[in-house]
Amino acid sequence: MPKWSMVIDLDKCVACQACSVACRIENNTPVVPPEEAELGRAMRWNDVFPMPINPTEETGEYPKVKTQYMTRPCMHCENPPCIKVCPVGATFINEEGIVEQNYARCIGCRFCTVGCPYGVRYFNWYKPEWEAPLAEHLNPDRVEGNGVLEGPAERPLGVVEKCTYCIHRLHKARAQAEAEGRDFRADEYVPACVQTCTGKARFFGDLDDPNSTVTQLAMSSRSFRLLEDLGTHPKTIYLREG
Amino acid sequence: MAEKISRRSFLKLSAAAGSAVLAWEAIQNAFAPVEAQAADAHLVTSENDVIVPGVCTLCTAGCGVLARVADGRVVKLEGSPMHPINQGALCPKGQAAPELLYNPDRLTSPLKRDRATGQTEAISWDEAAALVAEKLSAARDAGHPESVAMLYGNTRGQQRSFFSRFMQAVGSPNFVSKESLNVAAAKLGMLLTQGIYALPVYDLENSNYILSFGANLLEAGWNPQRTISGWTYGRRGRPTRNKIVIIDPRQGIHGAKADEWIPIKPGTDAALALGMAYVIIKSNLFDSEFVHEYSFGFDDFAADGKTHKGFKNFVLENYDPQKVEQITGVPATTIARLAGEFATNKPAVAILPGKGGLLNGSIEGVYAAMAVHMLNALVGSIETKGGVLTQQYFPLPDYPALPSDAVAKKGLAAERVDGAGTLFPLARHAYQAVADRVLEGYPLEVLFLYDANPVYEVPGGAKFVEAFKKIPFIVSFSSFMDESAEHADLILPEPTFLERWGDDHIEGLGYPGIALRQPAIAPLYDTMDAADFLLKVAEKMGGTLAKAFPWKSYQEVLQFRLKDIGMDWETLKELGVWLVPGYRYAKRGGERWVNEIIGRDRAKSPRDGHFDFFSRELYALLGKKNKADLASLGITQLGDGVALPHHEEAPVFGDGELMLNVFTLMSLGPKTEAANMPTLMEISGMTVGETWNSWLEMNPETARELGLKDKDMVWVESPAGKVKTKLRLVKALRPDVVNIPYNFGHTAVGRFAKNRGVNGLELLNPASEPLTGLAAFTNTRVKVSKS
Repeated sequence: MPKWSMVIDLDKCVACQACSVACRIENNTPVVPPEEAELGRAMRWNDVFPMPINPTEETGEYPKVKTQYMTRPCMHCENPPCIKVCPVGATFINEEGIVEQNYARCIGCRFCTVGCPYGVRYFNWYKPEWEAPLAEHLNPDRVEGNGVLEGPAERPLGVVEKCTYCIHRLHKARAQAEAEGRDFRADEYVPACVQTCTGKARFFGDLDDPNSTVTQLAMSSRSFRLLEDLGTHPKTIYLREG
Repeated sequence: MAEKISRRSFLKLSAAAGSAVLAWEAIQNAFAPVEAQAADAHLVTSENDVIVPGVCTLCTAGCGVLARVADGRVVKLEGSPMHPINQGALCPKGQAAPELLYNPDRLTSPLKRDRATGQTEAISWDEAAALVAEKLSAARDAGHPESVAMLYGNTRGQQRSFFSRFMQAVGSPNFVSKESLNVAAAKLGMLLTQGIYALPVYDLENSNYILSFGANLLEAGWNPQRTISGWTYGRRGRPTRNKIVIIDPRQGIHGAKADEWIPIKPGTDAALALGMAYVIIKSNLFDSEFVHEYSFGFDDFAADGKTHKGFKNFVLENYDPQKVEQITGVPATTIARLAGEFATNKPAVAILPGKGGLLNGSIEGVYAAMAVHMLNALVGSIETKGGVLTQQYFPLPDYPALPSDAVAKKGLAAERVDGAGTLFPLARHAYQAVADRVLEGYPLEVLFLYDANPVYEVPGGAKFVEAFKKIPFIVSFSSFMDESAEHADLILPEPTFLERWGDDHIEGLGYPGIALRQPAIAPLYDTMDAADFLLKVAEKMGGTLAKAFPWKSYQEVLQFRLKDIGMDWETLKELGVWLVPGYRYAKRGGERWVNEIIGRDRAKSPRDGHFDFFSRELYALLGKKNKADLASLGITQLGDGVALPHHEEAPVFGDGELMLNVFTLMSLGPKTEAANMPTLMEISGMTVGETWNSWLEMNPETARELGLKDKDMVWVESPAGKVKTKLRLVKALRPDVVNIPYNFGHTAVGRFAKNRGVNGLELLNPASEPLTGLAAFTNTRVKVSKS
């Protein structure tokens, strides 16, 4: 059973934001009205931002200043706090380590958005809308079933959504392998942000495979995880700059 | 846009009938076992998926894309792994391209506009072509084909040669590129030293030491994706990590990601490069073979019966690091260290800026471009691995010879509307000067605008509105009703790059390559490729024009031009890319060295394969001029000094104390239409946490002195105008420089672009540099006050 993981090399990340946009177009996250975006309600499952967030608070004084940039998808924790607070099982961790979000079960209580220490859960304050003909570009892919609605599926009003490591792409790659009558290989599945990364800073793969790139990189002396002391055990792993 | 809903009304809404069903379903689902549901989950997708290769046009890089067309709709773009520039990656602009294709503000048919009322009405392509043919024929019949002009921006592949041929066939020299707004300074720097009028290619992957002068490498530049690929490979793709030094008053993302950031005083890059040259020469660290065998004017030399000053002695006399420290604000010890590192960590490369660069502005910028490029020559980095390469192209079949045409011949000999080559002797193009020249009386009857929105994108663009009033017939090929199209008589929307044919020279790696753009889907609207339209016009005009354009479609033109690249059309369509990887280095002093690498484009000096440390082109132009004439060009040197790079104090526009730098963002890029792509607007202010709005970046120290606080609304004022925007304090910025991002403050284009922030160009000096016709981008000084 694979354990999916993403490694982001901050030495190669150039804060271009291609990941943010690739994620949006792949997963149909809506463009919220500008006034709402100003309130911090933009829906970007993978956001890029400076550290610290307010550039006036940068450490050091001119000219000895260095801005740092961060890019942040869901951490897909092995011990995810978000699923513990969900009263209805709308968010859960699957056997392969992906923290899924089922819009059909979600009741919009937003406990998870508070429970997540990484701030990567987004609430639909509005019914997502696209001015015609913008909706034409919506990705038709989604994961469905009895009481299941996941992935890029158009979200109902009032549900929480989040990065799923593009779970529909996993379904798709498996379906493809099955259709071709062969075994599925881990390198057939890659989330949109990893595929588009301009600096080739992102790596994706199976953390249970000792030979995978992500496993190798996770052992690097540069590797770290966000807020490690919380015991969340993220599977989104960073490599520090320099 | 969704209606604004407060939390209270949201709760009410949830209780409303429609949502009640949803809520009930959610509650039902909530009680079902998770495991049972998960077992039932399955993929739902499109019935018919096709992948179509193409090439993006949202900046000048030209990345290969693979468009996913699901049930006839373009739902996603990926970078093409076959394309060597982006190697499967795709930047935010390319990723957002579906928002361009399905943009609600696209023009859906050709429009004719009544100047008196401003009303537009749809007309047919036939009527439009007949109208244009009539106007062009009238200009030719009157014996003044030069009264036809075309302003153009990003022309890809065969487009430029095709449009250029059209203008030649009409008989007008007025085919004016907007490069005087961006890359012309770098190209001139190349011409006056290496003797080729082209952008240099930097072999970043193999370079051990990268020194970038004002090139906004990771956000703008003429080929941002190419730079990012090279940059990150140099960091982590090879056994040894390179060193990158960024010289720029603004740290930006490149400075933050580099090993070292040198916040130089703006307009002093020439002095810094020469200070480094001083150290390299003094320490005897230069490439002696190159300097002595393949360059001109390094040492003093005799000609015309007198001794001329060479680069070496000129630099040693004038640019010792202590003096350079005074000019640039960079400590002498830093200059010496950088020079030493640069010369002893070869291959090393010094990079010139393109769009977003800081050299455009005065003659200083051209001297700076020369001085920077000379650093490459000094350490022998010309035409070497890890150094500067020269872009190679596939040899393409020539267009058939133009039919002889007395009218065209006369017209082509006329002076250009932008004054390039006459008023501006060194200029190839002086885009921004067209308005002034028309207002001063250059008669234009017909003006084409292709990827050109001068009203918005030129400092003091408002003067174009006045100039347009004097031009009786204006045709815009814009896909949107932009600030310039608003004044056009005919607006002939082009399909987006996802709906049309085209090709692209793959530039930035040195070796030749062609990428093919093809329609991912049929055009959504009644649009037409500008080239196809001009073919229609030529046909209607008949005579020499029709003879010059025997093709039925632009696709046929492409097939004709690309027939000998070594790849058949069907395979090219399938792959989207054809290239011959592996750069062929020219041997120093060999035949290709002389014909292609050094001196190729010199007009007034020998093409002898010698790199000019003493610019013979400049000397031929200025060497005999007297002091007063030179002073009027902003040059304080006399005689030999004019041909040698040196620092000139740039004339300052405005009496404020803060230099205004209008910089380009990765997200919004250089093209007007990107400002109407909602996702790009949303992410544009990432570095300062702004969204859908422009801002003014200022160092907190400066703000304290001016009594300003972060997020204050401020007036920014220059003699050209006054704008109000939000102040954001950024520590990683020189205290004497302020920055405004480009591509905000549109007054037209569409619902997402309109009235979002301010256009910083409105404040910039509207002048052109007198020798080179470069737009003055960097010598404006502004005052900032609380609003």
